[in-house]
Amino acid sequence: MVSGVEVDTIAALSTAPGVSAIAVVRISGPRAAAVLARVAPGLEPVPPREACVAAIIDPVTNETIEQAVVTQYPAPASYTGEDVVEISGHGGWLGPALVLDACLAGGARLAEAGEFTRRAYLNGRMDLLQAEAVVDLIEGRSQALRRMALRQLDRGLSERVAALRASLLGLEALLVHHIDFPEEDDAPIPVTHIAERADELSNSLAALLETAAEGELLREGALVVLAGRPNSGKSSLYNALLGQERAIVTEVPGTTRDALEAAVSLGGFPFRLVDTAGLRETDDRVERMGVNVARRYLAAADVVLLCVEGTRTLGTDERDFVRDTGVPVVVVRTKADLDVTAVHSGRLEIARDRALATGGTGGPEDACATLSVSALAGDGLGELRALLPRLVYRGLLGTGADSPVLTRARQARAVGRALSEVRSFAAALRKGAGPEIAAAHLRVTESALEELVGVITGEEVLDRVFAEFCIGK
Amino acid sequence: MSDRALRCDVAVIGGGHAGVEAAAASARLGCDTILLTPDLSRVGQMSCNPAIGGVAKGIVAREIDALGGVMGRATDATRIHFRMLNRSKGPAVWGPRAQCDRALYPIAVRRILDELSDLHLVQETATALVMGDGRVVGVRGRSGLTVQAAAVVVTAGTFLRGRIHMGGEAGVEAGRAGEAASVELAHTLAECLEVSRFKTGTPPRVDGRTVDFTRLERQDGEPGDYRFSTYVCESIPEQRPCWITWAGAELKKVVRRNLERSALYGGEISGRGPRYCPSIEDKVVRFPNAPRHQVFLEPEGLGTSELYVNGLSTSLPGDVQVEFIRAVPGLEDARITRMGYAIEYDYFPPHQLRHTLEARRVAGLFLAGQVNGTTGYEEAAGQGIVAGINAALTVQGREALVIRRDQAYLGVLIDDLVTRGVDEPYRLFTSRAEFRLLLRQDNAVRRLGPVARSLNLLTSSQNRILAARLQREDDVIEWFHNTTVSAQRAGPVLESAGYTLPSNSMRAVDLARRPGVDLAELARVGGAPFDVETNAEALAAVEIEIRYQGYVRRERERAERLQAQEGFELPSGLPYESFKSLSTEARQKLARIRPSTLGQAGRIPGISPSDLQNLVLEVRRHARGRSEPRAEVAMPPAVQA
Repeated sequence: MVSGVEVDTIAALSTAPGVSAIAVVRISGPRAAAVLARVAPGLEPVPPREACVAAIIDPVTNETIEQAVVTQYPAPASYTGEDVVEISGHGGWLGPALVLDACLAGGARLAEAGEFTRRAYLNGRMDLLQAEAVVDLIEGRSQALRRMALRQLDRGLSERVAALRASLLGLEALLVHHIDFPEEDDAPIPVTHIAERADELSNSLAALLETAAEGELLREGALVVLAGRPNSGKSSLYNALLGQERAIVTEVPGTTRDALEAAVSLGGFPFRLVDTAGLRETDDRVERMGVNVARRYLAAADVVLLCVEGTRTLGTDERDFVRDTGVPVVVVRTKADLDVTAVHSGRLEIARDRALATGGTGGPEDACATLSVSALAGDGLGELRALLPRLVYRGLLGTGADSPVLTRARQARAVGRALSEVRSFAAALRKGAGPEIAAAHLRVTESALEELVGVITGEEVLDRVFAEFCIGK
Repeated sequence: MSDRALRCDVAVIGGGHAGVEAAAASARLGCDTILLTPDLSRVGQMSCNPAIGGVAKGIVAREIDALGGVMGRATDATRIHFRMLNRSKGPAVWGPRAQCDRALYPIAVRRILDELSDLHLVQETATALVMGDGRVVGVRGRSGLTVQAAAVVVTAGTFLRGRIHMGGEAGVEAGRAGEAASVELAHTLAECLEVSRFKTGTPPRVDGRTVDFTRLERQDGEPGDYRFSTYVCESIPEQRPCWITWAGAELKKVVRRNLERSALYGGEISGRGPRYCPSIEDKVVRFPNAPRHQVFLEPEGLGTSELYVNGLSTSLPGDVQVEFIRAVPGLEDARITRMGYAIEYDYFPPHQLRHTLEARRVAGLFLAGQVNGTTGYEEAAGQGIVAGINAALTVQGREALVIRRDQAYLGVLIDDLVTRGVDEPYRLFTSRAEFRLLLRQDNAVRRLGPVARSLNLLTSSQNRILAARLQREDDVIEWFHNTTVSAQRAGPVLESAGYTLPSNSMRAVDLARRPGVDLAELARVGGAPFDVETNAEALAAVEIEIRYQGYVRRERERAERLQAQEGFELPSGLPYESFKSLSTEARQKLARIRPSTLGQAGRIPGISPSDLQNLVLEVRRHARGRSEPRAEVAMPPAVQA
């Protein structure tokens, strides 16, 4: 063979390092079997995909370092599409490291983060959307994201995109017929008909694009910011929602200076809960910085919990705050344990008239809920936990479990580009531009959708996608 | 080779549309050229329908003409019906199409060929290639004649092991109805090239005196003297109408009842046929619910009453053809003069060719036309002219001509053939061109005229005509950009397009940008110094450039990006099998197709951009590995990252 570049063989620990019962070292590449032969010389030939016990030795010292279960997955029916070997040994800190080291000494190279999945993608074992789902599965901190990722690994979103590409092809076929077969049997296709078909495609693209906002929240966690005057009970509520004492609670107003952030799953959906300094004018420099941080969080919030002691009525500042905040605000009447009547009314009142002040539509996006909560007694917390997913993940809760969702800015950008080009296409046709002119827009649409599934991918896109991976996957 | 052999620079086997253009181009470049064909009276014969042009194909006919070819002139001189297809759509997809007089067309072709002193026509059936030193050095003929040549262009059409089918019999060996197939030549070519089979078909013809025209819809051609040829003004004959009727339920019933007797559906034919030109059997089977199919009755010529029944191509036996013809409205009493038939023939999968149309494995051997798996006169002629030019350039030791995809449909055609290959007879469509707005019938001469001039394909008078034509267009473009038209003068033109009067005078180019504004009228009222009538094509070119500026710019930018990729050359002997950073599919396809540039590699179906990226690295490394001792090789980043 003339000089060429061999794909090398990689190895990595594929389970979390540290305390686990079993640790898996995965090897992939054309020399996977050769590496195995060096670290497990005593292994008899085993049929593919059949587990077998073998002594693992260090090929340098010939010392036995582990007793492990070995499974071989010959190409192409493996995770990466290459020859793959998995060595399952005992967990812990030292054993897995020794096995991995033996594999490296046996001719493998340490894998980069995401390299196994990248190879799977390059070898056509999965498309880019599936590769991204693998990341979500590994990192997903909520059931909702895991469900979504599993569905996507099973090609849920890929199939939706395939359907979109099919209807795009249909549209292009109409154009081809229109332009290249002017004398066929059927009467010429009216341009309005083609434009209507384009509208149908736009609608499907738009519906998919709408899922992106919540889809991204599903990965990042929706930002819930606790706001309110100093000493209004924010930190107590924060600790109660988290179920642990994270924030320091005193009766001294202005105790919380910096913002505290923690991830929490509510109703199976991911949230990032942020406790902030109470909003007030202050001369204390540190507290003022805390207040500024709070304002920045508020600007990024997906939902705000405005804490107001149940013992008093809302002040003008608080009414203004409810009116001026662009995202749903839940007014939490706190310290309900101090007010017997409020405890009693620990029920939810979603006031569709927040809007009172805003002149909004009164639709769910204007929702302003008021509920009473006793952080101490736990009253009202259940309602709050149930309310938050309904406010943030309205679309996901509404569209049934099986509809695919865009979970990444990359995906949303591609769908957005496809959508705007299909719209331009229909607009150009309706304005009387020739079909051959309008067709230019469909070419861009096509490439946007191809980019989405990774049929065509710039190297930078690939790098970005696979940069999210941990080593060993 | 014997001393008594005829000697020439370029020998062309076949006298169809490809062979004619190949031989003429070679002779125009000053090469001694011999064209061998079994029947000299059929040089330029229209074997199927008597028409040239159509959507995309008409643009190709004009491109061939722009390169100084034969087809445009022969069409102008013999056309008896003309229409511009797609006139209601944008000028980029207009498709000029002419019906020609079938008898006059070969006569015109022969007359045009006879202008070339370096071209020698010989009636002789080629039976073998003469090889020497791994390259082709000549052609042997049935009569014992040997032609010694530095390059040979094979344009054998459907003649190679051709087999005609009419009904469920085993078929008859023939190259065309009434003409012998070419079997010996097919065998010698099969020794050095991969061979496959295609089929195509032709419909019956009827005696016009027995047709009831009162039951047909008459379709007259467009008035005016549209010409395919830019360089030579042929005189256009008297015009004839076409007629339209329908193949309806009754005919479909006859076909369905006799389907097993069809060679196509009786299992006699194994080769694939063109989906885009289906036989009536195909239509009945594939579109069972279509109520009717359009049938065009096209005049065969001024001196005959015969009509070509376009739309009823068939491989059914003669008795069934007689029966189904009578089921067509207007043809109830029609007499068939010639039967339709299907023909199966050898072709050479075109991935074996370079962009010059030279076989990769056999130096000096060029192939053009239906032997490369295409269908259509224009596709054949287009390959013919490129093959003929390149055969001559090779002999002369000059740089080859490779036409780009953004330059001409000829470039799209040849690049598709050698890059993507064919799995059915290949026909051009405008949708195959990614730079459709740039490749128009009106600007063919602007795109390829300068190429022809620089290759020395044109006579001095043709060069003068070209220069004048391009100058006129430049004048029109300049006038629109540099002229201000007063509101008063522009008023009527704008109003008739539904616009309100402008308050100030405006530049002509800005007025022209508005959809619906008639550029010719605008030029007239604006006092343009050029004659609007004789510059209609220049105006159309200016119109699309102005009105669709944004889109055209986008296409040009894409074309430029493409060219950057085309600039990255892939050496011919690359060991693709060993490039392990490419996917298996990519390795196999690259090894089979052996693209000459990175751009071409990217157009191979199944080659991903990641493959391309890695290919660049592999090629660089391969080049380094040859000049330096091999160092420890690093992984390409695509796999490493």
